[in-house]
This record gives sequence, structure tokens and C-alpha cells, in this order.
Amino acid sequence: MSRTSRFEGRLLLAPLTAFLLALLGFPLLLDVVYSVSRVGFENIRAPELTGLANYAKAIADPGFWSAAWFSLRFGLIVAVIQVVVGLMLAVFLAPLFARRPWLIAFMMLPMMVAPALVGLMYRLILHEFVGAVPYYLLEIYGDFPAFLGRDWAFTTLVVVETLQWTPFALLILHSSYAAISPDVREAAALDGARGRRLFVYIDLPLMLPAIGITFFIRFIDSFRVFDNLYTLVGPGAGGSTTSMSIYIYQAFFKVGDIGLAVAASMLLLAASFVVLWLINRLTARKAPL
Amino acid sequence: MTRLQTLLTSAAVLAVLGAGPALAEVTVLGWPGGPEEAGLRKAAETYNATASDADKVKLIFFNRDGFFDKLAADLAAGSTEFDINLLATYALGRYAPFMDPITLPEADKATFPEKVLATMQYDGKQYGIPTDLSLHFMYYRSDLIDKLKSDASWKAKYGEISKKYLGKALEPKDPDAWTWEDWMATALFFTKSINSDSPTRYGTVLQMKNLLFNMMVWHSAARAQGGDWMNDKGEITVDSPAYRAALDIYKKLYDAGTSPKDSTTYEFAEANAAFGAGQAATMLQWNAAFGDLDNKDKTPAVAGKIGTVAPPAGPAGRFTHIHGLGLGINKASKNKEGAAKFLNWLGTPDAMEVYAKAGGSPALSDAVVAKVSAERPDLVKLGQYAGAYGFVMHGGTAAKALQVYELQAKEFTAYWSGDKSLDAALAAAKTGMAELLKP
Repeated sequence: MSRTSRFEGRLLLAPLTAFLLALLGFPLLLDVVYSVSRVGFENIRAPELTGLANYAKAIADPGFWSAAWFSLRFGLIVAVIQVVVGLMLAVFLAPLFARRPWLIAFMMLPMMVAPALVGLMYRLILHEFVGAVPYYLLEIYGDFPAFLGRDWAFTTLVVVETLQWTPFALLILHSSYAAISPDVREAAALDGARGRRLFVYIDLPLMLPAIGITFFIRFIDSFRVFDNLYTLVGPGAGGSTTSMSIYIYQAFFKVGDIGLAVAASMLLLAASFVVLWLINRLTARKAPL
Repeated sequence: MTRLQTLLTSAAVLAVLGAGPALAEVTVLGWPGGPEEAGLRKAAETYNATASDADKVKLIFFNRDGFFDKLAADLAAGSTEFDINLLATYALGRYAPFMDPITLPEADKATFPEKVLATMQYDGKQYGIPTDLSLHFMYYRSDLIDKLKSDASWKAKYGEISKKYLGKALEPKDPDAWTWEDWMATALFFTKSINSDSPTRYGTVLQMKNLLFNMMVWHSAARAQGGDWMNDKGEITVDSPAYRAALDIYKKLYDAGTSPKDSTTYEFAEANAAFGAGQAATMLQWNAAFGDLDNKDKTPAVAGKIGTVAPPAGPAGRFTHIHGLGLGINKASKNKEGAAKFLNWLGTPDAMEVYAKAGGSPALSDAVVAKVSAERPDLVKLGQYAGAYGFVMHGGTAAKALQVYELQAKEFTAYWSGDKSLDAALAAAKTGMAELLKP
């Protein structure tokens, strides 16, 4: 490459680099400084350096690990359910979608509501004195569970998250299922593959990349759950429904310990990099195949 | 003039025209989602009807959850998005460095009693107009309590239930003479799952969400048992028999089913919904709830059938948590003159009359409260109870008082919900408070 072309390349990349440095680099640098400082709202412009004390505090805090476990459990369970339900819907409703494609837009409606509003909506629906669900359960069965109470809150949250975001899984998996060439299915059918065997040995392997991507997107999104959880049950009695996002929010805004909040988010960032590195490594190993 | 120059000139003219009124406007950041908001909206509407365009008031609100921390962040960052902002007694020390003291006109000084003005004073300076005084009432269904006091079979059943659940046979009393034990007995009696004859599903509705304001409500019970945050030596004293007794009052009532199952997610609005539906016989609640609950259009099931008294008495006496909300001037405001003009007006008897009639809860001097007492009889009690039973926990105005409330909310709701033992919850609260309240 000539010197002129290198210069032109750098020149063309300069705006993007400046944009990334300004919007990602500067906040990251500020976060690093805050994470090693004693900083609250009152001295936000003059943080006092304290080394790794915030990281030690986060790691020693049982609340941090409890929140991490909540998010991990919630993210995994919700992602698995959404992928399974989304896959079932994509396959079983495929003939219907082929005849009436507008139904897909109808199925996407839950995704278009802001998660915070979804939380508020279910808070009303499930409230004992104004909600429809407890009312009818009481009329029919004479009792109802405490949907937002300690024993049911997690299940309620999983159901609410699944109802809102399964359409996302459905959308991707439907596209993937519809993209499988009819020739492949026809060839398999000539070899005697039908029904379940056709799905398990032909469709499913071809859809695996889409299933993997859907799972990871939904896992990441559910792991960082905040809006609907916060409006529906908040951090929960004794912090029982505190996700990592709520832990960081509370440390930052409610306790005013900005250093701890930022250190916790930096630890989360580091964990994300480790996971990404592992995924990259696994993908790289499979690439030659 | 080229086309570009024409466009630029037009844009500049439009920008100046548009920016003019906006800069002069007074923006008020108020307390959202309750009768305080309704009161402020009406007051602003009244003020704007006669104010010049340059002095007109615009109101903004953000969510009640985390309000004070978001406000602290905005104030510390020197935000100019609002000229006037909310103040609370328990956060005065935290906000004072970012606010301007105000000078009250003589007319305003006559609107409020001296003690009430003092709820907005810090370091000898007045920082705000005390728009609302908050304390707790014990709300009860007067129709049900009247029957309980007169019906022989109900009295007998009351005695049986109190014997079974509290270990002693009690007799129904007038709510103004209740001890916490009498209230517990009443809550048990009016719980359908305990007494099938109860006309209400629950005897009470407890606010047990992990939320700092719910701790303030519960503190009226804690103080009546003799509980305090710290002693005169500055030692944390929450791990005391008094705190244990008060925590057990809620725990026993919740476990017995006297409060809705979802009470661990209940706060102000949810509790009002339960009481307003006519399905809870009693409720320890902020005084601000009275206006809506006694309104026939809003809560027809209970309006006109509500009695209010000060919280019950305990071994240490009768107490109610007390704090003031008010409005003061943001130090970074670009329209301090307009802001002061509005606050001076807001402190007048006429403005407070509008504010009170629209739902606000100001504690007013006798002469002013007389004008609204027919429509807001609760405001008369407000002043009386504040003087007789009001208290602030030792350390309750410290810079990190709100964090203490947050900590207690987390630990004590863990105990109430069964996630932690009483010893573990109190130990965690004590350790955390020692850190937060250290000099």
C-alpha cells in the first residue's frame, strides 16, 4: 500500500475513531478513575483516589454476588424458555405465516411496548384490589397466589419477560426457518425423512446458528434486566429481586457510593470480555470445519 | 442577501423569539404522584392566571422512586433545568450547599407557625417555603369500629381472637385510646381468614416494600416502643428490645394474614387502594392520603366512613414520625428573581388556601387553617399532632439519613419476608448505620 493510500485510509477512519473515543473512550476512562476513587454526588468533580478499595468492597459484598446470581439465573432461564417457545411457534405457525404474513407484525406488538410500562401494566393487573387476575382467581377458586410476593416474584418476572420478548426469538427463528431451501427438504424427503426426523436432522442443524445468536441476544438482554423488574417489584424484600443492574443503580443513586457502583460495573465488563473471548475461541476452533 | 443569509437570519430571529419567554419562565421541580402534585398544579395555575408572561411557572416532575438522589445529582452538577426544587427536612444538610437561602416576607411568616418554618431551616437560614408537613394517622373505618364497640357478639369474638393470637383477652376501645396491642387485636378481628364474620378481607394493610418511606411509617411504632437510631453518646441502638418489639408487631400481623399477601411490594398507593376498596379496616398511613380517601368521587366505598387518630401508644408514649416538604431556590438557577417572586406568593395565606384545598397538606397558623378547616378538617389535626406527638429519630437529619432509611428498609423487609432472622437483620442494620452515621 502506498503512503498516500495509507494516509487516505487514516483520514477516512479519523471521524469514526474520534467518535468512538469521545462516546466510548472518555466515559470508560472516567469510569476507571471513579472505580478507584472515593466519590459521591457531593465530590463528583473532585474524586479522591483510593486504589482498589471499591473492587475489594464489591467482591466482599454478599449483595453483589447475590445480584450476579439473580441475573445469571434469570438470564439463562428466560433465554432458554424464549428460544424454545419461539422455535415452537416459528415451526408450528410457519404455514400460517406463509399464507398471512401480516400476522408476524401482530405477534411483534408486545416488543413495541416500553419495558417499564409493561412492568407497571402487570403491577396493576396483578394487584389484589385493582387487578383482573386476582379478582377472577378469587371468584373462581376462592384464593390466589401472591404474584409479587417473595415466593412468586421470580416466576412472575420470568413470565412477564417471556411474554414480552418471545416475539423477538420468534422473528429471528421464523426468518431462519423460512430461509431453509425447499430443495434440501425435498432431497431429505426423497431419502425417507418425514416429520420429527426431518426437523431434528435437517431443519434444526441448519437453524443452529440462528438459535445460538437468539439465545445469546436474549441472555444478554435478560441478564441486564432493569426497567420492568424495577417497576414491577423493585429490589424486593431484603433485596431478593435485585439484579446486577439494580445493584449498580442502588449503589449509585440510593446509597450514593458512586465508586462502588462503577467498580461493580467494571467487574461486569471484565466478565463480559471473558465470555466473549471464550465464544471467540470456540468459534475460531470450529471455523476450519 | 443570498438565500443562505436569509435562511440564517430567519433562523436567528426565530431562535431569539422562541428563547425569550423560555428563559424567563420559572421551572419548578415538584414532588410527583401524590396530593402534593395536585396542590402544586392548582397553585401554579392560579399564579399563572395573573402573572406576566415572563414570570409564568412551568412544573416538571420525575419519578418518586430515587427522587432525592436524582435531585442530588442534578444539583451537584449545577443543572439549570429547574429554578425551584423540592426540599425535605431529612435532606436539608445534603442540599443546602447547592441552594440559595430565601428571605421570607412578613406576610409569609404569619402563614406558618414558627415550628413549621423551622422544618426548612438549616444552619440558621431559611431554605424553603414549607408546603407540606407529613406525619402519620391511624386510619380506621368508623362504621366498623362503632359496631365493634357496641355489638356484644363482636366484642366476645374480639376477646377470643385477642386471647388466641396475643395471649390476653382484650376489649374493644376507642381508636384514640389504642395501644399497639389494641390495634393488633383489631387488625386480627377484621381479617376474614381469622374471623369469618369480618366485613373486610383484611384487618389492616401494611406497607412493607423495600422502600425508605415505608421505614418512616414503621418508625412511629418503633419510637412508641422506645426505639431510637442512636443514644446521646452516638452509639447505634437499633439492636434493642424496643426495635425488636416493633419489628415483631409487623411480622406477627403479616404472618397472621391480617395484611394482603403482596404487602412486601406495597407502598403509599397500593395501601390506599386496599383501604379505599373497603377491604382493610385500619391503616397506618401518611396524613396526605386523607383527601383522596374521603373523596366520594375517588373512593366511594369508604368516603365519609373514615376516622383518623394519631398512631397508637406504646410503652414509651405516643409518637408520629414528622418531616416537612418544601420548595426552595436552586443556586444554579438563571431566573432567581422570578423564582423568588413565585415563592413569596406561594407563602401567602391565599396561595396556601388554594394549595390546601387542592390536596396539599401545609401546616398553617390557626387563622389561616380556619379558612380551609371545613373542607380539610385533617389539616387541623395535622398541626395538633405534630406539636403533641411529632419526633425525629436521633440522627434523622444527618447527611446520610436517607441511606440509613434505605439500609433499614433492606434489612427489615428481609426479616418480615422471612429471608433473614431478626438477629441477622438487626446486626446488619447496626453495622451499616455505624458506618453511615460516624462523625
